[in-house]
Amino acid sequence: MSAIPDPHSPRARTGVPGQGRARPRRLAGAAAGALLASGLAACGGGGGDASTLTWYINPDAGGQAEIAARCTEEADGRYTIETALLPRDAASQREQLIRRLAANDDSIDLMSLDPPFIPEFAQAGFLAPVPDDVADRVTEGVVESAVEGSTWDGELVAVPFWANTQLLWYRESVAEEAGLDMSEPVTWEQIVQAAEETGTLVGAQGTRAESLTVWFNALIESAGGSIITEASPGDPSQIELGLTSEAGVRATEVMQMVAESDAVGAAFSTANEDSTATGFESESGGFQVNYPFVYPRALGAAEAGTLDPSVPEDYAATIYPRVDEETPAAPPYGGINLAVSAFSESPELAYEAAECIVSDENQAYYFVTNGNPASSTAVYDDPEVLEAFPMAPVIRESLEQAAPRPQTPYYNEISVGIQRSYHPPSSVQPGETGENATELIKAVLAKEDLL
Amino acid sequence: MSTRNKVLWGIGGALIVVYCLFPIAWIVSVSLKAPSDLSNGSFLPSTPTWQNYDLILFGGASDLFLPALVNSFGICLIATAISCLLAMFAAYAIARLDFPGKKLILSTALAVAIFPVISIVTPLFNLWRNIGLYDTWPGLIIPYLSLTLPISIWTMSAFFREIPWEMEQAAQVDGATTWQAFRKVIVPLAAPGVFTTAIIAFFIAWNDFIYGISLTSTEAARPVPAALGLFTGASQFEEPTGAISAAAVIVTIPVVVLVLLFQRRIVAGLTNGAVKG
Amino acid sequence: MSTTTLPPTKKDAPVSAPKVRASDRARGEKRLGWLLAGPAFAVMLLVTAYPILQATYESLFDYRLTDPENRSFTGLTNYWVILTDSLWWQSIGVTAFITVVTVAVELVLGFGLALVMVKALRALRPVLRAAILIPYAVITVVSAFAWQFAFDIQSGFVNSWFAWLPGVSENTDWFGDRWTALLVICLAEIWKTTPFISLLLLAGLAQVPEVLQEAAKVDGATRWQRLWKVTIPNMKAAIMVALLFRTLDAFRVFDSIFIMTNGANGTESVSFLAYRQTIARLEIGLGSAVSVLLFLAVVLIAFSFIKLFKVDLSQARGE
Repeated sequence: MSAIPDPHSPRARTGVPGQGRARPRRLAGAAAGALLASGLAACGGGGGDASTLTWYINPDAGGQAEIAARCTEEADGRYTIETALLPRDAASQREQLIRRLAANDDSIDLMSLDPPFIPEFAQAGFLAPVPDDVADRVTEGVVESAVEGSTWDGELVAVPFWANTQLLWYRESVAEEAGLDMSEPVTWEQIVQAAEETGTLVGAQGTRAESLTVWFNALIESAGGSIITEASPGDPSQIELGLTSEAGVRATEVMQMVAESDAVGAAFSTANEDSTATGFESESGGFQVNYPFVYPRALGAAEAGTLDPSVPEDYAATIYPRVDEETPAAPPYGGINLAVSAFSESPELAYEAAECIVSDENQAYYFVTNGNPASSTAVYDDPEVLEAFPMAPVIRESLEQAAPRPQTPYYNEISVGIQRSYHPPSSVQPGETGENATELIKAVLAKEDLL
Repeated sequence: MSTRNKVLWGIGGALIVVYCLFPIAWIVSVSLKAPSDLSNGSFLPSTPTWQNYDLILFGGASDLFLPALVNSFGICLIATAISCLLAMFAAYAIARLDFPGKKLILSTALAVAIFPVISIVTPLFNLWRNIGLYDTWPGLIIPYLSLTLPISIWTMSAFFREIPWEMEQAAQVDGATTWQAFRKVIVPLAAPGVFTTAIIAFFIAWNDFIYGISLTSTEAARPVPAALGLFTGASQFEEPTGAISAAAVIVTIPVVVLVLLFQRRIVAGLTNGAVKG
Repeated sequence: MSTTTLPPTKKDAPVSAPKVRASDRARGEKRLGWLLAGPAFAVMLLVTAYPILQATYESLFDYRLTDPENRSFTGLTNYWVILTDSLWWQSIGVTAFITVVTVAVELVLGFGLALVMVKALRALRPVLRAAILIPYAVITVVSAFAWQFAFDIQSGFVNSWFAWLPGVSENTDWFGDRWTALLVICLAEIWKTTPFISLLLLAGLAQVPEVLQEAAKVDGATRWQRLWKVTIPNMKAAIMVALLFRTLDAFRVFDSIFIMTNGANGTESVSFLAYRQTIARLEIGLGSAVSVLLFLAVVLIAFSFIKLFKVDLSQARGE
């Protein structure tokens, strides 16, 4: 399936496997029988007992379930966290949560939310307000992009948990052969040229999915523009788009240049994060923009004997490529933030649990075992983290520079509108595509068009 | 038939078998590939491994897959049982009695059978939320009836029409009570039809996807086809191709067993007894 | 008349208790009939009539799930938006394309399968029957995954096996182009549903009177002439029923598209469009209107089949 989730979670190849996951789920499984017996029953999970918190998590390698167990233990009986699993891709996670919240479902207490969808939840009144003291504590020492990603309309509405970002990964041997100085910032033009000269690939996500919006947003932000220039929280018809701006045209030019070059693989219009990583592992791997999971992925393959161990040794990472030489790049920002449902029976306990979940200790554990980078800057000094991810300082730097995707309650419309207009990437026309996309998105927001 | 013809039809038959089984063989083959072996470009795994099955049956994905398997079996069996019971009465009435409205019932069944499932899902979701059926077994069993009932009624009434009902009267003439006549004569005659209908209804319920992804959200009721979308690869960006294939093979086993055991009946059921094997 | 058929035989009337007093019996049977068939009838109505009425009602509103306060009555606006949108017509086109291609291929292929089943050796028959039932019984989602993995540029074998074909190479990206993606979707659908058609046709073949075949043979008709003048006309009912059921089924295609392309590259079907508006975009009003239009389209197809081609369902179903 081509659904592209935002967060990622490399399975711990070195650390603890996902054993923590089983416990709460067995309970839920056993509950199925009881549900049937009672015929009509409320939704599954831990309704009833107010001190039982249900945390809806995105699938990972078991880290969140383990953290839930740790916090339950720490709480010493004040609360118990049970986890429930959401679908794999971010769009389906949103669909499921939002339908339940729209029905005022009180069986959700905590949610692992993909940042672009946070404004929609907040605007609809689905999130419990963050107490001021909690807000102060959970934003201290946290990378800027993660705080931004948890904010809507000037207020913190979620608790920053972990933060993801794309890096520019390159093969040291290829960069050397092309004579590219990777200690300096590089541009898209430079890496495409280097790849063409060396007969290698540049990997990016050209498939029609969320990852295309991620790429386009990084390009337009790196060119100094934004997809949305006027957010207009209350009235979707007043939303202003920056797709036809100079930066929008420039972003389209770069996208077209990359997609039409000889440096992209054959299946560029269906390339997702996974296939990009596969291409980078192959003999023709040269450059790719991707999340940090590619590193443990390659190490794992080398360990399993399907990849030459010299390949991951050749891996290196630096900050996302620039669009223009002079302007610093704005790498993609992703990850997961924690939100407390407005319909939760015990929001105070839920916020207490959220604070426990995002503790530096837990973030470091999650980073090392599941490969999900922390949003707390202190974690990046942890020796264990540095050992598992030698490129951790680059990740941290990238997160400080990263730009969130457009923050709007209509994110789905805008993102799908962009995917429709800018796919396949080789067909985009600077100028024209921006105009068409603006027209389409405006019509969709005004409910005059289907999507 | 000449020998040449025999050979030709035999080849035709062999082609059919290959055509029908090839994709199944392929998914079995994928399920035996290690993650790093997936892109080897060939049909067969370089070294077959059980690790995908291990993952979904005993490993990290088992607490996702096993409850889903239990749900799928439970929900489909109950839906099948209910629809067969209801259809049995309806089919008896249609086959045996002459009453106005017979046509109406059959046309309604047809209309329900052609109904686009997607049109039902959203209103049903809202209703289920309000009355607390969302993400429960009954919450899936009831919509599954809309899939299984029409075909059950049609198939069973066709079967019942072929039952020589006069034998019941003959038995009564011979001194049997009504109940005895029914139990000793009619039940054995009707049982194969009911059984066949049940298998076909089970296939249809087992095949559902839209209701499964729309009306459930936890292990409490999530069936296997919906659970396939929740598997995760080594990381969330890596495609869980192996786990999906292994799960796909496991959900295919029950239907293959049913087909192998009852193929003759199923064919008769699908064609309403028109073909005698 | 250029074709040869036998006059329709009289159907068996239901056998029931000997007639006593017509009116009494009729009343009793009516009561019993509804008593027995009523529950099934009621369940069918409840699970479908209620939702479609609800959908029809909601299709008249501008209603976003996350914004219930601003729900407002807009009459037929949603329908106007849909019918003037090129995406709707594109989805109709895609759906119609999939329907026509799959049903046409399935009919020919299914007929071939049915012929082989009839002619094959008795010993082979159970094997064939079991094999042919497997695609029918396999879950659509499983079949969609199998075909997707087979054609996938990384995990598939199709590219390396068929690289000798013009237009196919190691780097053919089947899901990257509209028509190749549709081709794979059609292949998966055809594989999955041909057995159903062939079984219905097999039943039809069995209904062709042997007498007519023999008579035609005596008259010196060739094999081809016998097929067109005797076999096919005599199984017209079975063909039409198979056509009708498969057309309606194909028109609602969703699972395969959802799994294989998720609607990318212009492969959205009407069902998928409805799904996207209601479930992903949360526009209940607009999505309900798409659902209602899809329902009307299906009814229209069923109606025109029954009226135009005079499909007699009762005959084929052995009523």
